[in-house]
Formats: sequence, C-alpha cells, structure tokens
Amino acid sequence: MSKIEELKQELKNLGSEYAKIKTLPPEERKAFGEKINKKKQDILAQITKLEEEEELESVEKIDLTAPFAENETFKAKKYGTKHPLTQELEKVISIYSGLGFDILEPFQLDDEFHMFESLNFPAGHPARDGYDTFRTAEGFIPPAHTSTMQHRALKKYKKNLDEGKNIAVAIPGRVFRNEDVDATHEHTFYQCEGVFVSKTATMGEMLGVLKQFFEIYYGQSLNIKTQPGYFPFTEPSVELLIEKPKSLGGKGDGWLEMLGCGMIHPNVLKCAGIDPEVYKGFAWGGGIDRLAMLKYQLNDIRYFESGKLEFLKEF
Amino acid sequence: MKISLNEIKKYVDIKIPTEELLKLIGSRLVEIEGTQSLKEKYEGVKIVKVVECEKIPETHLSLCQVFDGEKNVQVVCGAPNVHTGMLASWIMPGAIVPETFGNENFRLSVKKLRGFESNGMLAAADELGFSGADHDGIIEIDPKDANPGDIFSDVFGMDDIILDIENKSLTHRPDCFGLIGFAREVAGILGEKFHEPEFLYHEEVFPEGFLIEKDGNLVAKDSKVSIKIESAEICPRYSCAVLEVKEDFLKKGKYFKKSDVFLYKADMRPVSPIVDITNILMLETGQPLHAFDYDKFIAVGGTEKPEVLVRLAKEGEKLQLIDEKTIDLSPNDILITSNNIPVALAGAMGGKNTEVDVSTKKIILESATFSLYNLRKTQMAHGIFSEAITRFTKGQPASETFNVLAEAIKELDAKPLDFADNWMSGPKANVVKITTQEINSLLGTSYTTTQIVKCLENVSFSVENDGEAMIITAPAFRTDIHIKEDIIEEVGRLLGYDNIPLSLPTKHFKMPEIDPIISLKSSLRTILSDKMGAHEVLTYSFVSEDLQKKVNENPEDSYKIVNSISPELQCFRQSITPSLIDKIRENLKAGFSDFSIYELNQVTKKSLGLTEEGVPKMETHLALVKIGDYYSVKKSLEEMIDFLNIEPLSISENTEKSYFESLHSANLIYQNKIVATFGEIQTRILKKFKLEGPISAFEIDLEKLLSLPKNISKSFNLSKFPSVTRDLTFKTNEDIKFIDLERDIESILASKELIFELTPVSIYRPEKTSKTKNISFRLTFSSKKKTLDSNEISAIIEEVTKKLIDNYGVEVI
Repeated sequence: MSKIEELKQELKNLGSEYAKIKTLPPEERKAFGEKINKKKQDILAQITKLEEEEELESVEKIDLTAPFAENETFKAKKYGTKHPLTQELEKVISIYSGLGFDILEPFQLDDEFHMFESLNFPAGHPARDGYDTFRTAEGFIPPAHTSTMQHRALKKYKKNLDEGKNIAVAIPGRVFRNEDVDATHEHTFYQCEGVFVSKTATMGEMLGVLKQFFEIYYGQSLNIKTQPGYFPFTEPSVELLIEKPKSLGGKGDGWLEMLGCGMIHPNVLKCAGIDPEVYKGFAWGGGIDRLAMLKYQLNDIRYFESGKLEFLKEF
Repeated sequence: MKISLNEIKKYVDIKIPTEELLKLIGSRLVEIEGTQSLKEKYEGVKIVKVVECEKIPETHLSLCQVFDGEKNVQVVCGAPNVHTGMLASWIMPGAIVPETFGNENFRLSVKKLRGFESNGMLAAADELGFSGADHDGIIEIDPKDANPGDIFSDVFGMDDIILDIENKSLTHRPDCFGLIGFAREVAGILGEKFHEPEFLYHEEVFPEGFLIEKDGNLVAKDSKVSIKIESAEICPRYSCAVLEVKEDFLKKGKYFKKSDVFLYKADMRPVSPIVDITNILMLETGQPLHAFDYDKFIAVGGTEKPEVLVRLAKEGEKLQLIDEKTIDLSPNDILITSNNIPVALAGAMGGKNTEVDVSTKKIILESATFSLYNLRKTQMAHGIFSEAITRFTKGQPASETFNVLAEAIKELDAKPLDFADNWMSGPKANVVKITTQEINSLLGTSYTTTQIVKCLENVSFSVENDGEAMIITAPAFRTDIHIKEDIIEEVGRLLGYDNIPLSLPTKHFKMPEIDPIISLKSSLRTILSDKMGAHEVLTYSFVSEDLQKKVNENPEDSYKIVNSISPELQCFRQSITPSLIDKIRENLKAGFSDFSIYELNQVTKKSLGLTEEGVPKMETHLALVKIGDYYSVKKSLEEMIDFLNIEPLSISENTEKSYFESLHSANLIYQNKIVATFGEIQTRILKKFKLEGPISAFEIDLEKLLSLPKNISKSFNLSKFPSVTRDLTFKTNEDIKFIDLERDIESILASKELIFELTPVSIYRPEKTSKTKNISFRLTFSSKKKTLDSNEISAIIEEVTKKLIDNYGVEVI
C-alpha cells in the first residue's frame, strides 16, 4: 500500500471515529469535533503534498527556452499586417465618430472650386501657391488638403442645422502635393479634416474639442498651445501644438505641432448656403503620416508608400 | 524670411528675456522655424591694422605684420588686396573660422607657410560666414568705423539673433514683410510703445517749394515726367523721382560696411550703393524700388521727357530682361513702358534696354505697387522669385510709396531733379464696425471694451465708439482688414489665443453616419490581414504610361498630371493591380517567397465619366496580388466573400482581354453581371516585370461588393441526431466541371431535409495526358428528424452516385 493510500484509509477511519460523537455528553462534543477535524485537515494536507511530489516526478523535464518541442519542426505562423497609416486613420476615425462626428471620404481627383474657390481663396490669390497642387490636363486637381470636402460636408449636413442640431463631420483621406520626395517630404500623404458648425460655436470650443481628441488619442491629459496661422478659409486661424505625450518620451517640456485650425470664414459658410450671421463654425486639418512617424519613431516618410514587406511586417 | 532681433530692438524696447520674447512671437504673430545666435560664431575675430606687408618671392603670398591693438603679430596672407595701412579682420589662432562654424568647426592654429610662421588669418567676407559673398580679397574696414584691436562682433553688431520666419503664415500681412512692420507687431504683442521711424512721414527731403499739389498728388513744380496707368487694378500707385547720379553710386565701394552686414543678415548681399540702399529700404519697409537709366529710358521711348505708361502686355510682345533672357509676355504681365515701349516687367525685373550701368548719369527711381494677382501669375510664368516680387505678391499698401522714395533720396544724398506721383486708386480707409459682444462670442472670451481698444490702438488702429459699437479704422498699411472676423482675429491673437478658456460643444444624441465605403474598408482590412494573412500596402495614385502599357491599359484613358514630378508619376491610375505587381519583385529579392499584398484605394479613368458636380467619378478598389496559381487566389477571394457573410457567387469564364491569363482566370458573377475578375497574370506580362509565375490577382470595386446580398440569417442548424460521413470518389472525363458535380450532389442532399456539409477532398489526374480525373468529395449529413439507419444512408449515397453516372457518365471508385 502506498503512503497516499494509507492516508486515505486513515481518513476513512477518522469518519467512523467521528460517529462516536453521538455517544458523548453534549458538553464534550465540541472539543471532540474540533479534535477530529484537526486530524482530518492534517491528513488532507499530507495527501496534497504527496500528490504534488508524485506529479513532479512523473512530468518530463523540458527546455523552457526552446522555441518548440523536441522532434517537431518549425512552422512559421503567417500573420498579415495592416498598413501603419491606415491603422492610424482607423484610430482617428473611431475617436471622431465616438465624439459624434459623421465620417466622409474625399475624392482623389477634384476641381478648382472645391480645392480653392469654395474655401475663400480668390482666383489668383498667392495663398494658392502654398499648396503646390498637381493638375491634370483637364484642370482637375488631386486634392492638396482634405478641406476639399468642407463645402460638400456643409451642404450635406445643413439639414442638421434646420433641425436645431450641429454639423460635425470628420474627413480622413489621401492628399497630394507637388514636392520633391525626401526623408521628410512625400508628394502623397494622408490628412484628417474636421468641420463643426452650430449657433454658438466658439474658438474656446474648438480648442476644447481638439484637446479632447488628442487626450483620447494619447490616453493622457495634455496641455495645448497655439500659434497664429493663415488660411483663407478660417479666421481667426491658428496652428495647434500639443505637449509631447509621455508615450513619445515627453517630459512635459517639448511641444509638437499637430494641425492647422480656425473659425470658418463667413464666406465659406455663405458659399454653402449657411447664414454666417446666425451660425458659426470651426474647422481643422492635420497630417496622419506625422502621427504614425511619431508613434513608431520613423525617420523616413518614404517607407509608407514603398510597398516593402520588410517594413510593413513590423506593424 | 530672416529677421534680425537687433533691428527689431531699434523700434521697440524689449524688457523680457529673449527666450520669452520668441515664445510670444511664436504664439501671437508667426511661427519661428529656427533661430541662429551669431555671437559665438565671431568669437576670436578682431579688427587689426596691417603695418607691414611684403610679397613672399615666387608665391602669391604676402608676409604681414598686423597690429591687434596691443602688439604686432605675423600673418601670412594670400589675398591680392592686402596692403600696408589697411584695417582688416583677423581670425586669431585658436578661433573657429566663422564660415565653418556649426559644421566642421575648423579651428585655426599657428603654423608655417612656406617656412614663415603664420598666426591665424586675415579673412575674406565668405570666410567670415557671409554666405554668397565674393571671395575676391580680404575685407577692408573703413577707419571711420573701427580701430585696431576692436572686437569684430562689437563693430558690426554680430551679437545678434536671427529669426527664421515661416513666410506662409504671413501671406496676408504685407506690412510684416518689412522689419518696421514686424517690429510694430512685436510692440503690439508686448504692449510696449512702438518707436515709429520718422522717415515714414517726412517730406523735408525735397527743397522748400519743390513739390506742389496736383490732382491730389504731390509732384515737382515743373515736373516733366508723365505717369499714365491703364487701370488702378493693375497699378494702384506709381511714384518716381529723377535723380542725378553721383560717381560712387554705381560701383561697389572698397570698404566692408555695416550696411553690408545688414544685407547679409537678411540673406542678401551688397552690390552697389544704389542697389544696396533700395534693398535695405525694401527690407525695412517691405516696399521694393527699381532704378532705370534716365537717358536710356527716354531714348527707348523716343521722347524728350519721360512718359511712363503702366499697362498690361499684349500677346506676342517680348522683353529682354536684365538677366539677358528674352521672355514672351502674356496679357497677364504688367509692363512699365517708356512711351509704350516695354522697359520693365513690373514688380519682377527691369529690362535690359534701361539697365543702370557705370556710365549712367541720371536715374529714374520707381516706387510703386501692382496687382498681386497679376504679379503672382507673372512670377509663376517666368519663374522669377526675387525678394522684391515675394513682397509685391503679398499686396504692398499704396500708402507708402512716396515715403519710401523720399527716404531713398535722402539716403543716397541725391538732389531730386524731378518728382511725379500717380495714386490711381486714391487713399482708402478700411473701417469695421463691431461690438465687444461679437468679438467675445466668436472667441469664447469675456474681454472688456477697454482691453480690446487698448490692444488695437497699440498696433496703430484707431477706435471710436458710436454708443452701440466700436468703429475701428485700420492703419493704411493694414490692407488685410476688411471684415469683423479680421478684427476678431487681431484681438484674439494680440491678447493671446492661449488665454481663451476651453469648453466643449453640446452634443446631440445621434448615431454618427460613417461612409459605408470607409466601414467596408475597415472590415476588409481585418479579414485580409488578421484572418487571411495578407499584407496591406499603399502605393502612389500616379503611375507611368510605361506601367500602364505593360499591363495593356490604355494611357489615353488616364487623367494626366501636367506638372508631374517625373514621367513615372504622370497618369492617375485606372486600377491598383499593376502597382502591386510592380512591388512583387523587390519583395521576392528581399527574401519573401510566399505572400499576398493588397491595397484599398481610389482609381478612375476618363471613360468612367464625371459626377453631377462635374468632377471625375472615382471608384474605390480592393486589389490583391499573391504568389500562387489560379486556385490560390480563387480560394482567397471566396474566403473573403465568405467572411463578409456574402452569399457564394458563381463563376464564369473570362473572355475580356486584360492582364489575366485567359484560360487561368474567371469572373465572379452576380445576377449575370461581373463583380470581379481574378486569376493568374499572363506570363508574357510577368516577364516585363522580370517575374516568373504563377502570380495571381483580383481587383474589385467596393461599390459592387457593397451591393451584393448578405446571408442575413446564417442559420445554425445544429442537429440533435448523429451525423454520418462518407467519402465518394468519381472517375470522370477531363471535360466534366467540378461545379456541376458539386451542384448535383448538393441538390440531392438539400431535397432530403438533411443538414449537410459537402467538402472537396481531392482532384487527382494521374498523368498530364490522362483523359480522366478522379474527384473525391466528403459528404457529412444528418437528418433533422431522426437517426438515420444504414438503409437510409445507402439510399442517399446511391441516389447521388446514380445521378452523377446518369448525367456525366462518371465511374464510382
């Protein structure tokens, strides 16, 4: 008989001994019960200990550091990957839709009207130069900013205003600028636009919304600051900077320039058939590539459109 | 644009540390892209006097003794202009040559040259780090400016910080393209007094009684200059003076001057006194000036006195510019003409025919403003990007031409012979009426009227109150102030956007609408990457004609970028697959052997037509390219369709001519329409990409994918009764199609109220030449009602085999 079996037998015997309790005077029963119970617990503990020892002896010793078991061959698991830029785009979309923004996508070939005119760039205005636009022979323009959708978004959701609600739209998309490509410049990149209109929109609300976006995006509270900017389609216009987040190695000192924003110019609202005397709005646009480059500490923007699996498999 | 902080300090008292000042400029005026402190660069540079200078025989070198204020030092110098008695700049041994500062930091030492000890060096302007400077000799300093032993940095104001300003955010502020305007803003931000330079208002440059008022303009009493302007739109104002040229106007002086440093700090360089003075005034005021040779001007026009006509160019007109190039003018270009003969491309460059040269006796000095819109086109058309046109294209105010011209005359110390002015557009005040409430309600602030008035007056606005609202008049140089929002911007900016309290808008409860294409793209990424092991790539929307031709696409059907970066990026792509094929080889070479790549992006072609808005119709496509044969891509496509919960679709032969191998590609069909084509890429095409097959692909329009019916109720038919599994192998003729057998088996199983699963097990052909093949299926089924007995099972199997024998003549194995 093994030691464990002996102990189990002892446990059984203890059961019949316990039956004697009924024969004892009531005042002794408590002490008796406790005594038996104590014995029982001791035996159970011994059994557990012995069983554990037994198992330890029976289990085969293996090399915990080896990648797979002996006599097996290596099989690579094939994981696919999403592009780092589309991952950021999806994250940005999910935050804005969570905040209540409708999501629209821009066209990759658009016209002069949506690129400039509807955004209060007078014909021939020098501010148009800053956008280094490509053009097709027909005069179409691959958009140089996602703002090409502002006019469409305002018109599409004007009905919200009539119902006493706000217009809130975010527009992520691909944009193009005629720039020579180097480590920090690409002619093809991604932006996300935001448009908000209500009767009571203020610059304070704009900064509040953007602060909230970046706080959700980086998962921490952040300080923000601004510097004056110039965009014909917003006035006042500013550039928004955020405190360098902890996840990017920020220690509360550095600032990151994130996007351009401002109060929608009355001419832009007017052009979309919205009365600027009654409604106010704000809009912004920022680069997605920059978010991804900061996140992954990439120093060469050219990887994004390279199609190199060596790069893409890391994401 | 480069701005010297020392220059700003001339106009405004700065009482806060530089670091804080830069922060304030950054947050309330303009982005500073970078700063450069010059002080350290000039440590160890002194002014010395050359007391002895002897040529070293058979070399170009001179052996010099220089006096550094305390003692004589020996320096070997190779410059041709070194001579006894001159004041020069001396870089001491141990000091860094300023030109190399911040780069290789080349430190001088005591060394021997041709056997002579040389301590440090006498420097040329470029060696002192003045970029763009000539290297035709060491600089000579005017004894009026310095003494031997003086510190170079002290004499020339090198204890300075240069701000590198982001021009783009000042596009609407022509006044800030001059140091004075910039300084005025700095004063406004700091709330400090702005010391307006007197010259902006002076007329005393002209002798008493010289000027008279004529048609509202000040002109010389007996002015012989006539100025005609075609329209105020193209040229709001044209002022000019005729000046007698002094001998030293036109050639570069021998001394290195403080004004040279002023120009270098702004990334310009000295040329001659007349050019330097006009450039300096432009840098200070933002108003460019231009000089014509007077005699050439009237000779070109064939008139006795200058007859200036400012007009638009005519089709076919040509003009040779100062840079020798002859340009074809367009009707957009504004011309300065002498009696209608072109003499300058306005705002951009002077004409060769009136260029000032060493023999010039008299000049016409022009101070004018032109339409920024025309000039912008001129700039683009002729590729002229000078400091002057950069300023003109911001819209310089017409109010300043007279003052700047007067100051130029004074600086040149020239006697005006004549003066004329034509202010076509006339002075115009920009007045805006606005309430404190309107300002606060857009900013989300609670500023008081007093705060607002003070901040506006600080930057030269005048404010009156009519009891209801503020009536705000912008200073003449603020051509950008027109509407209420312009004033709100001024207030918000000057009082600090960062002082605005943050709040959040009221949110209305509603489900956000997400463009269904965006949602579908997201689902596809999860399916393809996370479930099916494919890699998502992004490639350019622009491709080459060459690529399109390789895959039999018609480049004529592509929208073409007329200003593309290269021919590689000229055509807007019609499909994504070619871009992906183009990425295969590189990845194979990098060691990846078995992979799928896909991209989700927009494509278009002319034949798709335009939308109602008149812009090209775009399609969002998914393209996937993989290493593998027809069946592997078919599997990918079917799996994807299944993951999307779309009902299985049928397949038809591909008869379209494209990049697919026709016998190894097929169409995915829904209601007799092609949803997508998939299959192997033609070997012939792969060869052009230096690839070997099989490589297969599919491309699908997401709108089509969205329109496909979903399996709404994927029923979970979990049977309560045990199921049976039978494998059946049929030997068939080679022409028999798999799908026909599969359909027939399915139809029988479906007719029996069975819960079943039919899976292909193998398709076996013993030899390539065999006329038959063996197809094996696995049938798993159970009844919905009871446990099937062996008779019932046999009956089902028999029915299946009988049908296949009857219909296709198969042999059961």
